[in-house]
Amino acid sequence: MTAAASAAMPEARPASAPDPSGPARIRSAFAAARAQGRVALVPYVVGGYPDPETSFAAALAAIDNGADLLEVGLPYSDPLADGATLQRASAAALQSGASFDAAVELVRQVTTARPDVPVVPMAYVNQIIGGGDGAPAARRLAAAGASGLIVADLTPDEGAEFERVAADAGLALVYLVAPTTPPERIRRIAARSTGFVYCVSLVGVTGARTRLAAGIGPLVRAVKAASPVPVGVGFGVSRPAHVRAIAKLGADGVIVASSLVDALGPDGRDVRSLGRLVRALREATG
Amino acid sequence: MTIVARPAAAAPRAPAGRGRLGVVGQIAERRLADLRPELDALDAVDVRHRLATADPPRPFAQRLASPGLHLIAEIKRRSPSAGPIATGDEDVLARARAYQAGGAAAISVLCEPHWFGGSVADLEAVRAGVSVPVLAKEFVVDRRQLPLLRIAGADAVLLLAVLHGRAALARLAQEALDLGLEPLVEVRDDRELDAALATPARVIGINNRDLRTLDVDPERAARLHAAVPEDRLVIAESGVRDAATIRAWRALGIDAALVGEALVRSGSPGAAVRAFVEAGAPPTDPAESARVALVKICGITDVAGIEAAIRSDADAIGLNLVPGTPRALALEEAVDLARHARAIARQPGRPRIVAVTVDRSATQLGAIVRALDPDAIQLNGSEPPGLIAQLERPALKVLHLPPASDIANAPAPALAAELVARANAYLAAGAAQIFLDTSGGPHPGGTGRRADPALVAAVAREVPVVLAGGLEPGTVGDALRRSAAVAVDVASGTERPRQAGERPRKDPLKVALFIKRARAARLDRPNLPARPTPVDPGLVEADDRGRWGTRRQFGGRYVPETLMAALGELEREYGRVRHDPRFWAELRELLATFGGRPTPLYRADRLAASIVERVGAPLRLRLYLKREDLAHTGAHKINNALGQALLTRRLGKSRVIAETGAGQHGVATATACALLGLPCVVYMGAADIERQQPNVLRMGALGAEVRSVTSGSATLKDAINDAMRDWVTNVRTTHYVLGSAMGPHPYPTIVRDLQRRIGDEAAVQIVDVGGRLPDLALACVGGGSNAIGLLDRFIGEPAVRLAVAEAAGDGLATGRHAAALAGGSPGILHGARSMLLQDADGQVLEAHSASAGLDYPGVGPQIAALAAAGRLELATATDDDAFAAMALTAEREGILPALETAHAIAALPRLLSGREGSGRPYAEDVLVLLGFSGRGDKDLAAFGRWREAHA
Repeated sequence: MTAAASAAMPEARPASAPDPSGPARIRSAFAAARAQGRVALVPYVVGGYPDPETSFAAALAAIDNGADLLEVGLPYSDPLADGATLQRASAAALQSGASFDAAVELVRQVTTARPDVPVVPMAYVNQIIGGGDGAPAARRLAAAGASGLIVADLTPDEGAEFERVAADAGLALVYLVAPTTPPERIRRIAARSTGFVYCVSLVGVTGARTRLAAGIGPLVRAVKAASPVPVGVGFGVSRPAHVRAIAKLGADGVIVASSLVDALGPDGRDVRSLGRLVRALREATG
Repeated sequence: MTIVARPAAAAPRAPAGRGRLGVVGQIAERRLADLRPELDALDAVDVRHRLATADPPRPFAQRLASPGLHLIAEIKRRSPSAGPIATGDEDVLARARAYQAGGAAAISVLCEPHWFGGSVADLEAVRAGVSVPVLAKEFVVDRRQLPLLRIAGADAVLLLAVLHGRAALARLAQEALDLGLEPLVEVRDDRELDAALATPARVIGINNRDLRTLDVDPERAARLHAAVPEDRLVIAESGVRDAATIRAWRALGIDAALVGEALVRSGSPGAAVRAFVEAGAPPTDPAESARVALVKICGITDVAGIEAAIRSDADAIGLNLVPGTPRALALEEAVDLARHARAIARQPGRPRIVAVTVDRSATQLGAIVRALDPDAIQLNGSEPPGLIAQLERPALKVLHLPPASDIANAPAPALAAELVARANAYLAAGAAQIFLDTSGGPHPGGTGRRADPALVAAVAREVPVVLAGGLEPGTVGDALRRSAAVAVDVASGTERPRQAGERPRKDPLKVALFIKRARAARLDRPNLPARPTPVDPGLVEADDRGRWGTRRQFGGRYVPETLMAALGELEREYGRVRHDPRFWAELRELLATFGGRPTPLYRADRLAASIVERVGAPLRLRLYLKREDLAHTGAHKINNALGQALLTRRLGKSRVIAETGAGQHGVATATACALLGLPCVVYMGAADIERQQPNVLRMGALGAEVRSVTSGSATLKDAINDAMRDWVTNVRTTHYVLGSAMGPHPYPTIVRDLQRRIGDEAAVQIVDVGGRLPDLALACVGGGSNAIGLLDRFIGEPAVRLAVAEAAGDGLATGRHAAALAGGSPGILHGARSMLLQDADGQVLEAHSASAGLDYPGVGPQIAALAAAGRLELATATDDDAFAAMALTAEREGILPALETAHAIAALPRLLSGREGSGRPYAEDVLVLLGFSGRGDKDLAAFGRWREAHA
């Protein structure tokens, strides 16, 4: 379906959408993995990359190969938290017509096709809030079946108003903590995060790395100790070995993005390869 | 006579005795042993006789109470810390004379023989051979030493707090004062300072050297000085390394530096002294002098008072003509004093003479004017506004504030609003100045009570006020830092203790010190308000969350969490720096000696004539260009780059990154980093690298690494993205020197503060040559650092219209432009909410402008706030307009503007004709200030291509 066509569609929540609120769906997904003695696997696909249909296929492949939750990146013109891989994918998606409407439609398609896996879009603040309060974007994502939202450049310092907006829409608002976040602030961020808290594993931008950041152990343990919600670890998490290591640290989830985009190949169409990597990552979760 | 103090006397406070006192204890004990026979043999009558015939003391404290930091040059032959310094047969007198010739305010002479090789004989010889005051650097362990030192010629004497108990110290200080010997009480910690402040000594020395251990802590003087009330004079001793130390101490308000070794070791004592003396002089550049408050010395009752005021260069003096008040003068007395003042005035019309009156009729005031010929009439009663029009001289209207105690429970905002309304009524009726006085009655001054500072600040923010009532040398500096008052008025705070039945009389030292403290209050504090700013606070300062605007709808801090700690640290460190005069003094010195400031203001008559032709209306346009193109590196960017490079050092970061569009900020940052020895990486869009080659080469030559950015539109926006990614990755070691007044809080404040000097200078310069503030101040705007730097000064000046010229690229209608204000909508980019070119999805659109410096889809949040509030008029110029303006300016004025600057020039005819901007017409005689932000060499290739295409 093209972005233009999707824009014309009504936006009621799909009949098959699960009933509980976004934060509850996310918590259940983490709890389910925990019950199986695993960390939850949260793969990431870039919405509309390389085109709407392939990104939908990639999302299904990720889910069918073992995703516990799915993160859908909304392509953005100025993704300053992202490294080369996601910048390139984001730009290519925009080039081929990616839009907010199309992202909403992708979320709807995925949550309709696989209603049991919570979908959490990730965006930049200007796409969601911009000059307003973010309510229209939050309502539309929630109506399409999204369970939560990660906003890469929104911290609790600026997020108070949007926290209410997201809660009203039934969306979890996932804040991020970083290795540079002081302990007391980790506590405050985790306390205001709903669904889960996103632990940025390294000081830097997104992108596949050969090894995990030094210091990730104390960081994950500190966040875990401070957080009332599950802790997902991302940025630079690329390989099954990384997943195993993070699982041992006691995290609740791992978020894998750039290496999956890399797996799609230079043209972004190698969905089978992405599926194989997700499967391998899943096997490393527990 | 008894010994009042000796080393052992300190023992009860610390049983360790001499051990506790270390070296200084040994010296003191030896000194006492040496001197005791001589002191015991003294004959009291003989001492009194020799005292009476001694050369009268020279004014030591009075000298230090004149503006600036003064140098006390020390003569010593050796010291326990440094060993032998000078040869034994050195001609101390020749050296003392060289110090005096170099500008030393006083000479300090070591009198101690065993450790320092000095003697009272040295003191006598020096005193006889120079005309400046001489300080006896003696270890005073017995009060009987004091008269002997005075007899030897000493004008001031050192008293070491460490050697004496509190009471003994106070007695010694009083005895010295009674002898006409100015006591300098030296301390090295809080406890000693406390004891020193309990003495009547007017001069406190803070020694950076601990005399027990001889260790030097160069920060001690700065730290302890903050605890000394401003009615004392402070001398910092030891630890002077270079002129920068002197400059920092002067900025802090320290009155003198006592320097010994640093002078002795230099080959040319006169030259070394001169360099320090120059560093101690208060700054005189226009941006600094504009913040200095004027001083009126009121209630002068005699010739000595007139002379004290004029010697200290008072701006105005007040003669009280209110019968029945303590300082009242008969009209004839006032006439005589005014005549004397005019006869000895250093320049005509200065000080202005003010006749102070209460509730006189117009006829009575007319009589006063005819007799006294005052420069102004002060109305201290309940005169109606209508009276002012009948006066033949400018009227100064006094509004009486209730004293702080009476208004503790009153609603301050309502009281402030009422006072502002009354002030505005008098200003509207023609009053020249409004005084705020705390006396609470018709008494003109002299109650010594203080107004509530918050109330005063609230009123001074709205209308120009002269602060009066309850001020004295110890409080005037603080009062001026806490309110935007434009002047201060003092009566009782500068008087001697009053004798019964006598009219109050001025104390010349207090007069001098009051004026010194008032003038210094805001020096090197460019971020203190120094004049009214009657606009919404959201247009001039961010709130604590970095929000701007009348609804605080712009700004903020929207960045990935990784950067939040660094931004918090930057905010804290900048918070410390913002009002630290040492930082701004250091920066001002760098900008003056390295950066080429102040930049000139140039009247461009031939360009103005061409512009008038284009306007097609009868205008007398006086167009002044603020020549930032003449600053080092060819643009205003150096102001910010040098400031942030100094900040990098304070942050303890070892690496600098920057973004650049036109390359000017990159060159400026590379330059500042080369100067301070910091490694520097500059991110620059590949498209900009292509069109700004000369600046790419310059950055390379300066040792910076230029990293090409190919993402997005490969221009400024993308360079900022990559710089932020670098910062996210290297935040622990790296400071990001953002080049414009945009980005996450606190950057918009930092960059504005560093650039506001442009407008601060220009305001003074244009009033000098143009006679008034401009009718229009105009700058080009991309991110907005040049625009806000020029315009910030004028936001609170209702008579000055403000405008910016945005880049219209191919034309606003084509959609290919960079006009975020005229053609954008509210959104968030690069960490702040502002105006932005974006689509309905919040995707940032590519900007289009031939000018790389303006080719940016956003704008800084303060500029956006000003535009949203209607305080900023908007204009645009297309690429073609700008190139044409570049050609015109080069041909008509011999100045090649940067393509960015050319946008402002191109927009001026449309603003003046009302086709752009608010459309409000201008008066025929129009005075325009244009921010000439940079030079155009970098744009020559593009200019050549444009010219070829349009040939």
